Amino acid sequence: MPLDLVLRGIFSAAFVASVLRISTPLILPALGGLLTDLAGATNIALEGIMLVAAFSGVVVSAYTHQVGLGVLAGIMAGMLLSAILAYFHLYLNTDVFLAGIALNIMASGGTIFLLYTITGDKGASSGLASGMVPVIDIPLVREIPFLGTIISGQNIFTYAAFLLTAGVALFLYRMRMGYHLRAVGENPEAAASVGINVKHVQLAAFLMSGFLAALGGLDLSMAYLTLFQREMTAGRGFIALAAVYLGGRKPWGVLLAAILFGFADAFSNQLAPLKIPSQLVQIIPYAVTIIALVLYAAQQRARSSGQQRSMK
Amino acid sequence: MKWITGSPAVRETLRILLAVLAALLLGFIITCLVSKDPLNAYRAFLFGPLSRLNRIGDWLEESISLILLGLAVSIAFKAKQFSLGAEGQMAFGAMASGVVALFVPLPLFLRIPLALLAAALIGFLWGALPGYLKAYMNANEIVSTLMLNAIALRLYDYLLIFHIKPPGAGYNQSDSFPEEGILPSFMPPLPFWEETRRMLTNQMNLTVMLYIGVAAFLIAYYVMARTPFGYELRMVGENIKFAKYGGINTKRTIVLVFAVSGIFAGLAGAHLSLGVHQKLIANITVGLGFEGIVVAIMARNNPLFVPLAAFAYGYLRAGADIMERTSDVPREMILIVQAVIILLVTAEYVLPFIKQRIVKPEDSYLAEGDRYAA
Amino acid sequence: MTALVEMRNIVKVYPNGVVANDGTHFSVMRADIHALVGENGAGKSTLMKILYGMELPSSGEILLDGKKVRFHSAHDAIAAGIGMVHQNFMLVPSFSVAENIVLGQEPLRRGLVDQKRAEEISNELANQYGLKVDPKACVANLSVGMRQRVEILKTLYRGAQVLILDEPTAVLTPQETQDLFRAARTLIEQGKTIIFISHKLNEVKEIASYITVMRAGKTLGTFESASTTHKELARMMVGRDVLLETNRSSSERSAKVLEVKNLVCTSDSGKPILRNLSFNIYSGEILGIAGVEGNGQTELAEVLSGLRPAASGNALLHGKKILNQTPRRVREMGVAHIPEDRLKNGLALNVSVEENFIVDRYFHSPYRRGLGVQYKQVRALGKRLIDAYGIHTSSGAQMVSSLSGGNMQKVILAREFSAEPRLLIAAQPTRGVDVGSTEFIHARLIEQRSKGAAILLISADLSEVIKLADRILVLYEGENVGIFSDPARLTEETLGLYMLGIQKQTPEEMEAVL
Repeated sequence: MPLDLVLRGIFSAAFVASVLRISTPLILPALGGLLTDLAGATNIALEGIMLVAAFSGVVVSAYTHQVGLGVLAGIMAGMLLSAILAYFHLYLNTDVFLAGIALNIMASGGTIFLLYTITGDKGASSGLASGMVPVIDIPLVREIPFLGTIISGQNIFTYAAFLLTAGVALFLYRMRMGYHLRAVGENPEAAASVGINVKHVQLAAFLMSGFLAALGGLDLSMAYLTLFQREMTAGRGFIALAAVYLGGRKPWGVLLAAILFGFADAFSNQLAPLKIPSQLVQIIPYAVTIIALVLYAAQQRARSSGQQRSMK
Repeated sequence: MKWITGSPAVRETLRILLAVLAALLLGFIITCLVSKDPLNAYRAFLFGPLSRLNRIGDWLEESISLILLGLAVSIAFKAKQFSLGAEGQMAFGAMASGVVALFVPLPLFLRIPLALLAAALIGFLWGALPGYLKAYMNANEIVSTLMLNAIALRLYDYLLIFHIKPPGAGYNQSDSFPEEGILPSFMPPLPFWEETRRMLTNQMNLTVMLYIGVAAFLIAYYVMARTPFGYELRMVGENIKFAKYGGINTKRTIVLVFAVSGIFAGLAGAHLSLGVHQKLIANITVGLGFEGIVVAIMARNNPLFVPLAAFAYGYLRAGADIMERTSDVPREMILIVQAVIILLVTAEYVLPFIKQRIVKPEDSYLAEGDRYAA
Repeated sequence: MTALVEMRNIVKVYPNGVVANDGTHFSVMRADIHALVGENGAGKSTLMKILYGMELPSSGEILLDGKKVRFHSAHDAIAAGIGMVHQNFMLVPSFSVAENIVLGQEPLRRGLVDQKRAEEISNELANQYGLKVDPKACVANLSVGMRQRVEILKTLYRGAQVLILDEPTAVLTPQETQDLFRAARTLIEQGKTIIFISHKLNEVKEIASYITVMRAGKTLGTFESASTTHKELARMMVGRDVLLETNRSSSERSAKVLEVKNLVCTSDSGKPILRNLSFNIYSGEILGIAGVEGNGQTELAEVLSGLRPAASGNALLHGKKILNQTPRRVREMGVAHIPEDRLKNGLALNVSVEENFIVDRYFHSPYRRGLGVQYKQVRALGKRLIDAYGIHTSSGAQMVSSLSGGNMQKVILAREFSAEPRLLIAAQPTRGVDVGSTEFIHARLIEQRSKGAAILLISADLSEVIKLADRILVLYEGENVGIFSDPARLTEETLGLYMLGIQKQTPEEMEAVL
């Protein structure tokens, strides 16, 4: 009974744990996307940032045999790409979408280019021994039935994703810089009129966004897998962007939205026993994203019409 | 200097040329860093496409795809719709035309037009979908078109592997198309140039798609510059609120913009299956998905300049191919060059002496007083 | 006594060659209300932006309390005790009042923003200066007058000694204006100095002790408010005699053009915007709509031009239904619309003047023939309208963005009037337009009226409504609270009571005028 297998698969602790694992490389870039979005600019380059970070992490950790250095390199590379985007958008007045698309193309081409130059292979970095970030077993918690399997034994990026959600929430709603960031996104002239440097705040948002997206990319190549493959982000940067909207542009909402996408993905993996062609099953997360986008837009329309009036 | 920087058209051209040159220079620096023999590698890149007749053929063939894709993207971008859906539309266009070529028993002169029509139609419909989502559901078109691309590519794979691939075949691809399903040469078989024709067709795979590309370009230009739909499209792009206020049905216009853009992408897909590969293969669109963007940007979204941009950019791509085959530098270098071109052309302040406008209209209230003063 | 603020020989040339200030002198005494008047484009805003550090002068110097200062950003000016209340408020709508007041200088506790303290600060300031606000309220839900208070408190929190108020009364009712003036006098008593930018001469004479007049980037002089007349001020502002009265030939009421019955309009979230609105407009009549902005005027114009759906009710144009039709359909029935926000709605800036003319007619003959648009016809139309309306442009192919504000408005008028409408909806037709163009626009509106058009005139400028309208309807919270048939006998104060919802006519009283 394949259907039976599927159902049993979904209602297991291992499945929930895998949802969290699959959600991690969505949560982190989605938080990054949230910060730039609230600051009034869309970071379309999340995808490229993840890719570049994933690649740099693998290469540096393989050559230095230091996982920490690999992670650091990935973060630096991701933030650098984000800084380039910010520079072009904020200081050279480039359309943020076009600049973001350009950087995604550059990230995609550049990683393949370097992969080939380094390994002679254009597909994957199988020749390189990538480092892997530690998995954390929490004593005692591990022993709790069901929950133990979910909470304990995840890699550090998964824990980081949840901690950083709390961190981003604290930053946005309790810290001075967070106030400024939201003010800049909502009414840049108002922010400028009280002496807030709008461009500096947006630059900071891009850098933080780059940092978070880079963690998501590193999760793919140094935790979820331990190698780099061409185009290994497979649209996650864009799905993360959709999660920002679906999550109502609030940190915890974004977290939930990203987990929803993770669930759709994990669910499609569970359907394997049903002998449905994998190509069709793989469509699910993308279709869910489109539906989510439409739902978000509908909700937004209802909300904004009420607000616009009172803003006059 | 004044006469050079005076006219906006000259300024724009200069600006784009400089951006391309800067990108090529960066490409050369990268080549120097990774190659054992950078000079030869770059020579292959820059001059390779002209070195042999068959390479000229490859260049022109690819340029035809790029013209169609560039038109597809220009149409969308001109209306300020950031549709990135060309890749999915292209995949479906290739599939639809391939199915006609393989399975519809008609003679060549009917089968090819039907195949092209099928590609245009599917491109139109698959393009209309994100347009509808944008216009009536307010769904961000960047995310939706990227998701629809992913869906289209998987459906393409599914159809190819489970329904079209001959049973037992080793590769995921269809049979080669029959003679009636392949685009004929651009030179009709007339007795007086039989010799030349044979010589050329042996060397290059240049098909009647050349004429279709030219026709597509002329039609796109006429539609954008001279028809009511073109006017609606441009007004939606310049100021959608104005368009709505003036009585233009902006929602319908947006759907049509996406759909019409899809026609051109669908035809580009037909060119891939009926002309370039002459069968359906896995990953048929690979590498072409975003190429329309750079062509459109180099042409400043003006259909008039798309062929020029397509030939220029097609040349660079063809060069990159030859470089990969004849040296140790992978062809992906062209993607870096492409990204740099997009960045430099779209950055308003990069080449300050040819900066276009000083007071931007979006500058809202703070600049309003000054504008009135002017 | 030395001046508190003194600006000497200020010259400001923008990179595009526009000379906004041309050797301007300006000085203000401490604890004084000093008005700065002039037409739009006279250079008032630029001068104040320089004082507030938002623009650097090309040359000239600024003295504050006798000491030379140089501001590179608003930050510097704020630090030196200069505050500015901008015309469109600089507030973050989703933030609370307190959060807006302290924005940029938030009180901290253990590294985090101390919201409680921010609320205390807001209350203290509000009490000290007699500007009552609720610190916890969300700014998005506040009235315009309240928002202005928040703006003033914001500058006071930053220690402003000099407050620049940029056209503060443009959006206020007469009563709210009086409140503002009272608050201003309280501030003066407490030693603050106020610079009051305006072009409403009545108000300026009422509140200011000194008036400085600017024209074409130059100051023409500073005058004691009590010893100058309106006429003198107006002549200096414009450089010639101005007709303060528009000649109006009384028109006979004739055929009913528009009949609106029980019109209801709600926002998508179900909030009522227009409540049961009924009125008629007759051929050759101007119906003026008075009201504080945000009481449904914008929506009324949108509903009647097809840009916004109506929930219920009816509106008939010569007996034909015009509600919930597409804008195109409404236009075809003979409705023209001068939109409130011309830059956002009325024009495509980076498009030629000609192509801006044809948005309502490109699809029918003679502009369309067969598949294409006949650009020869479009060019001819462009020439005709540019001549007829005296639009200053080198040719019809010129982009609209290169025109001045007054000429942009003329492009819209030319298009809408040339459609020969039966009903003309004119929303804020002279907002941000200089005195000369205002005269021109008023004359054209009256010309349309005498041609028999019915005109719905929506304006925040009460004197404009009183001057032009044959009847005036007052909107308060989307409701008709009063309709008056003899504007000449109305005062702004009477209208103000209705605009604030303090007075309301009975249905019988309205019936008599409807």
